[in-house]
Amino acid sequence: MLARWRKPGGGSAIPGVVVNRIAPGFLAATLNGFPLGLVIVTGSSGKSTATKMLVAVLRAHGLTVFTNQSTANISQGLTSALLERVGLSGRIAGDVAVLEMDEGHGAFIAGSLNPRVVALTNVMVDQIDRFHDSEMVAALLAKIATRATETVVLNADDRYLAELGSALEPTVRVARYGVTPAVLGQYPRGLGYAETTPNRLPTGIGLQLTRVVGRDAAVEFGTDGHSIRLPARGIHYAVDALTALCTAQATLGERFDPTVACASLSAMPAVFGRGEVVTVGGKTIEFVLVQNPSSFQLNVDSLEADTEQILVIIGSDVRDPSYFWPVDTSGLRHVLIASGLKAHDIALQLAYDNVQVDRIEPDVPTALDAFLALPDPASGVKTIIFSADGMRRTRAHLGLVSNAEES
Amino acid sequence: MTATSLQRPFTVVSLLPRLLDTNGDAGNARVLAQRIRWGGHDAQVVDVHCRADLPEQVDAVSIGSGTDAAILPARDALRTLVQELRVWSNSKVPVLAVGTGWELLSWGIDRADGTVIEGLGLVAGQAAPRAARATDDIIVASKYGRLIGFENHARDYIGAEASPLGRVLYGTGNGYRASGPLIEGLTMGEVFCTHLHGPVLARNPALADHLLRAAFTRHGLEYARGARAEFVDETAQAARNQVAARLGQPVE
Ligand SMILES: [Zn+2]
Repeated sequence: MLARWRKPGGGSAIPGVVVNRIAPGFLAATLNGFPLGLVIVTGSSGKSTATKMLVAVLRAHGLTVFTNQSTANISQGLTSALLERVGLSGRIAGDVAVLEMDEGHGAFIAGSLNPRVVALTNVMVDQIDRFHDSEMVAALLAKIATRATETVVLNADDRYLAELGSALEPTVRVARYGVTPAVLGQYPRGLGYAETTPNRLPTGIGLQLTRVVGRDAAVEFGTDGHSIRLPARGIHYAVDALTALCTAQATLGERFDPTVACASLSAMPAVFGRGEVVTVGGKTIEFVLVQNPSSFQLNVDSLEADTEQILVIIGSDVRDPSYFWPVDTSGLRHVLIASGLKAHDIALQLAYDNVQVDRIEPDVPTALDAFLALPDPASGVKTIIFSADGMRRTRAHLGLVSNAEES
Repeated sequence: MTATSLQRPFTVVSLLPRLLDTNGDAGNARVLAQRIRWGGHDAQVVDVHCRADLPEQVDAVSIGSGTDAAILPARDALRTLVQELRVWSNSKVPVLAVGTGWELLSWGIDRADGTVIEGLGLVAGQAAPRAARATDDIIVASKYGRLIGFENHARDYIGAEASPLGRVLYGTGNGYRASGPLIEGLTMGEVFCTHLHGPVLARNPALADHLLRAAFTRHGLEYARGARAEFVDETAQAARNQVAARLGQPVE
C-alpha cells in the first residue's frame, strides 16, 4: 500500500470520526438524500477508473456530483468530505453521489445505504485475495448488488457477474455491457476475469464494445454506434469506459446523451498509473502500472509490438516472487533494465520466458537515470512497467507529483 | 553404441495447469523444458487436463498448487491418471509436486471441519490443518544444496519423516513435530514433493538439474547444463542470496 498524499483542501479523517459518533445517521441520510440518488461502483478491478469516467460523464451532462477519492477509511473519509460541503443551510449541494467501493464494503452499506444504481466491474483474484476463492468475491459483490433499488449494471462477460444478475429479484433492472466476439478474439488469454461467460451479448442487446485499436474504441448502444478516444491504450480502459457509459445511462435515464457522454470520455486527461504518458526532461515516457497478474498479462499483451526500450521495476510490494509467474512475459521480447528490490526475481522469470534482459540494476534511481539517458527509441516510446512500489520510487526520483487515488 | 540425443523432443507434462497454478507452479514445467533446450536438446511442455491430452512418451512431470476450491475437481481429474502416475513413479520419471498437488498424491487431506479428502495414495503421509497459515520465505538444507523459496499453506504434512526433502533452516516446512528438527518436503525415488511454491526450480536450479539428470539417465544420456543456464543461474543465486541476507543467513 502506498502512502497517501493529502489533496489540497482535503480534510483530515478526524471530524468524520467525531460526527459518526455523535450523529451516526448523518452519513447514510446524506448519501441517500441526493436528488438523483446514490450510485455505487464496485468489483475486483477497474472500479477506480470506471468511477472517474462515470463522474466525468455525469458532469458533462450538467450534474453536480459528490464522489470519493479513495476507498480507504470509507466511513470516516466520506463523512469528512461531506462535512466540507455542508452549506450554511445545513444541506449539501449536489445532484448525485457516486462512490467507489471495495468488495468488502457490503457490511458498510447493508442496512443503511440505498443506492439507486450499483455497477459491478468484474471478479478477478488478486494477490491478497488469491487464497479466497472467486465464489467468495462474487458473494461479497452480490451483497452490495442486492442493495440496489433500481438498476444493477454489470459486465456480462464475467461469468460470476452474469450469474449474479440472473439471480437478482425481478424488481431490479439489470443493465448489461460486454465486448463483441471479435474484440474478445483479440485477447486469446481472455480479459483477466476469474471466468469468462461462454457467449457474448447478442447483437443489439445492452452496451457493446465493438472495436478497440490502440486508444481508439467503438461502442454501440443497441444499434447506435459511437467512437471514443480512450485516456490510454488498453482493453481494460475500454471496458472501464463501458462500465461508466452503461452506469451513466442507468443513472440519467432519458437525460443520457451518448454523444455528450463519449465526447466527455474522449476529453479526459490520461489517468494516473496504467498507461500514463509523461514528459521528463524532453523525453516521452509511458508508465504502465501492474497491480496483479491479470493486469500484467493484459499490459504485456497490449504493448505496441515495436516497443524497443523497456524498463521493468518490481519493488518490495511484491512480497512473494512467485506472484507474477502465471504471467507469460514472452511478449516483451527485450527488456533493457530490470530494476527494483525484486530485480533478480523478475529477471529470472523474463529469462525463462525467452526475454532478453540487458542489465539488472536493483537501485531504481540508477536504473532510471541510465534508461532516461538513452537516446529516444527509433520506434515506440520509452516504456516503464512497474509495480506500485516501483511507481512510487520512479515518481519520487523524477520529481513527479504523486496522486492520492492510488492505494 | 551411445546415443547423444533422443529422436524426439523431451516431453515435460504439466498436470492440470488450469486448476493447479495458483502461484505459477505450473511454470516449473517450462523451467525444465527451457533448461533442456539450453543444454542443446529439443523439448516441449504438454499441458494435460485429462487422459486424452496424454502424450505417448513422458520424460518429466510437474504438478502445481491450487486453491482449496480446486482440491476436489483436481483430485477427481488426477484419479483418472493414477495408473500413469504409478508407472511414472515406478519407472523413475522425475515428478515435482508442489503444495496442493503434493497433498493430492498423499493418503489424504484432513480438513478443519473434520472431513477427509481421500488422496491418490501414491506417497506416504497426509496433510492436516495448521492453527495458522504459514506464509513466508523458507530456507531448506537439502542434498541438492540450500533451497530458498516461498511457502504459503494452511496445512502441515505428517508422515514424511522417513524421507524428507531437507531440513528447515528458516520457515515452517512440513510443520509441527513433537521431537526432532523441522523438515520440509518428501522424496520417493524421483518423486519430489515440496511446499516451496512458484518457480522453485528456477530459483533452485540444482534441484532442477537433479530432475533433469534423472530424465536423461532413463535414456542413457548425460545431461549437461547449457551456457545460457549457467548465466541465468547467476541471477537465481543473486535472488536467493538476497533472501538469505535479509534473513541473516550466510550468502553463497
Ligand atoms: Zn478477500
